Amino acid sequence: MRTSRTMNIIVFLLVIVLLGIPTNVSAESPYRGYIYDNLDNTPASINGYLYADSIDGIGKEFGNLKAPEDLFIAPDDTIYIVDSGNNRVIHITQNQELIGIYGDKEGKGLLNTPKGVFVDTQGSVYVADTLNRRIALFDKSGQFVKEFTQPVSPLLGDKFVYSPSKLIVDKRGYLFVVSDGASQGLMQIRPDGQFAGFFGANHVNFSWTRVLVRLVASEEQKEQIASVRPPEFSNLYQDNEGFIYTSTLGVPINQIKRLSAVGVDTLNAYTDFRYGDLYMPISNGTELLDAFVDVSISNSGLISALDQTTGRVFQYDKLGNLLFIFGGIGQQDGLFKTPTSVAETTDGMIYVADRTRNRIDSFYTTPFGDLVHHASELYVEGKYDQAFGPWNEVLHLNANYDLANYVIGKTFFRKQQYGDAMTYFQLAKHKEGYSDALHEYRKVYVRDNFGTIMTVLIASIIFIRLLLMAYRKRWYTVFRSNKSI
Amino acid sequence: MGTLKLMKKSLVHPLDFFYDYQFMERSKLKYAIIIVCLAFCTKVINLMFAGYSFSYMETYQVSIPFEAVWIFLPWLTWAVSNWAVSTIVEGEGKFIDILTSSAFFYVPYIVIMLPFTFVSNFMSLKELSLALFIMYFMQFWMIFILVVQVKVLHDFEFGKTIWISLLTAVGMILIWFVCIMIFGLVNQSIQFVLDIYKELSYRS
Repeated sequence: MRTSRTMNIIVFLLVIVLLGIPTNVSAESPYRGYIYDNLDNTPASINGYLYADSIDGIGKEFGNLKAPEDLFIAPDDTIYIVDSGNNRVIHITQNQELIGIYGDKEGKGLLNTPKGVFVDTQGSVYVADTLNRRIALFDKSGQFVKEFTQPVSPLLGDKFVYSPSKLIVDKRGYLFVVSDGASQGLMQIRPDGQFAGFFGANHVNFSWTRVLVRLVASEEQKEQIASVRPPEFSNLYQDNEGFIYTSTLGVPINQIKRLSAVGVDTLNAYTDFRYGDLYMPISNGTELLDAFVDVSISNSGLISALDQTTGRVFQYDKLGNLLFIFGGIGQQDGLFKTPTSVAETTDGMIYVADRTRNRIDSFYTTPFGDLVHHASELYVEGKYDQAFGPWNEVLHLNANYDLANYVIGKTFFRKQQYGDAMTYFQLAKHKEGYSDALHEYRKVYVRDNFGTIMTVLIASIIFIRLLLMAYRKRWYTVFRSNKSI
Repeated sequence: MGTLKLMKKSLVHPLDFFYDYQFMERSKLKYAIIIVCLAFCTKVINLMFAGYSFSYMETYQVSIPFEAVWIFLPWLTWAVSNWAVSTIVEGEGKFIDILTSSAFFYVPYIVIMLPFTFVSNFMSLKELSLALFIMYFMQFWMIFILVVQVKVLHDFEFGKTIWISLLTAVGMILIWFVCIMIFGLVNQSIQFVLDIYKELSYRS
């Protein structure tokens, strides 16, 4: 009796203790890792980025965020957040300690729904003060310095609405401004506020339907048709080499561009390329169009582009090869509602601002992500031999990664091991690469085995001739004997 | 005569061949079916063993029944359509003759595609023009055989042969269209009856 009672008590205590132990919680990502292969399928892939933390300002010195519109990460990895709903720009460290606030309570420094920010190397803060239709300049301490109002130029026309939303400042001090709804390109503004012309305008592509409509429509109808305008830029980013990267709205191809000093796209110079998802969600029977709202370039040249429609961040290497896709639309941590901006620190953390959720989400690289970045960096720099090992490791972890197969194939090709190159190009489903490797393989093979090949060839020709002769003779005799009957 | 000899003759002397073939008494259908089956085998071999640069489908995309349909169906519909069209314009061919001799349409395909499949393993895309030339040549030859067959079987003159061949092609498309339409309609009517049955069963 007593023993069973103690047993009962022990079991009861054990249950209490076991209930108290937290079960192992695994950090499962709310989004499926995937990648596009060379046949445009979407095989599963290991996630390169996972959700780390959020900045929402609740209980912090700088207070709650409201509709953050833009992020800027300075070279020292401090973060500038355009807190649009609170009409201010916050400067914080990565550990969410407040450094400074820009935007005054009253006077000339009062902001009205700012949408963009840029900080130059001296720490001067340029704010695109959208609804005040100006660009406000603050010094490092937060003192309002001056403003750039709408520039006056006959190029702009009478109906031009100046609505600056994003900007960068280049090394000369020239401002490059995205004005909402302006389809003429980026506005270039001199340090003294003078208009210096449009830069890197998008173009309207040729369309047969438009020609047809023009032919058929009457004068009145033509007036009714909205005039076709080039797609407008949504955002821009200046990398550390001075190239300006832009994102464009309302086009299915070349949404991301790298503009050279004269405004020519050098990223999609050879072929048109479709960024983002190839299979978009369908709503009311029509496929949605992606909306790339921001682009960010890491120090090593990785391009992270944010698509508002799918809520996903797409990361490409400098050559435009897709590396990772993460994020999505949803409620969980790691998904977004209305993502507005993406920015990357020097240590590889990616920050995404979410206007509706009033917070900034940060993402860290997984070990697989680090490995791919390392391999990709070596490959892009042309260090094929050094990249070989890391890419093999990538393939070992993730056999669906076509880029790894392709790069290994290319490395073998350069090492003149054409047989191996063929194998890997075939695995990468890359026909051109395979064909080139085969071409070289054949050349080498024929050169090495010329004697054998010629011997076999000549022998087989003689053999076939003999066979034919024998056949004809037999046929001839059969024919003769038939005739004789 | 073996199938191989027939095939050779159809390539070398198509006019004589098709003329003689209608008067062959036995096993016409057997040879025709053998040749179409050979064409199907060629197709499968090509899909399986063509060089990677020249294979237009990944292995997982290949469906053998689907490929079989695309070999057998054109042959059968061509025969039906050609018989229907030529009967109206006083062609002399009988249906069984048309069916059996139009199978020889596939002979150039077999004869060229098999060696090409083998050789394509040693060809790179730099020789794409050569490969394209071979393919176009093959297609031209196939059409030539078909036209000769129509001419000989129905004893038309040249212009009329071309005209009837084109009409036959249109007829084929019509047959497919009607088939798909009937399939759709039958599908819908079955669905309709099922829906009514469901409705009644819910109400009762």
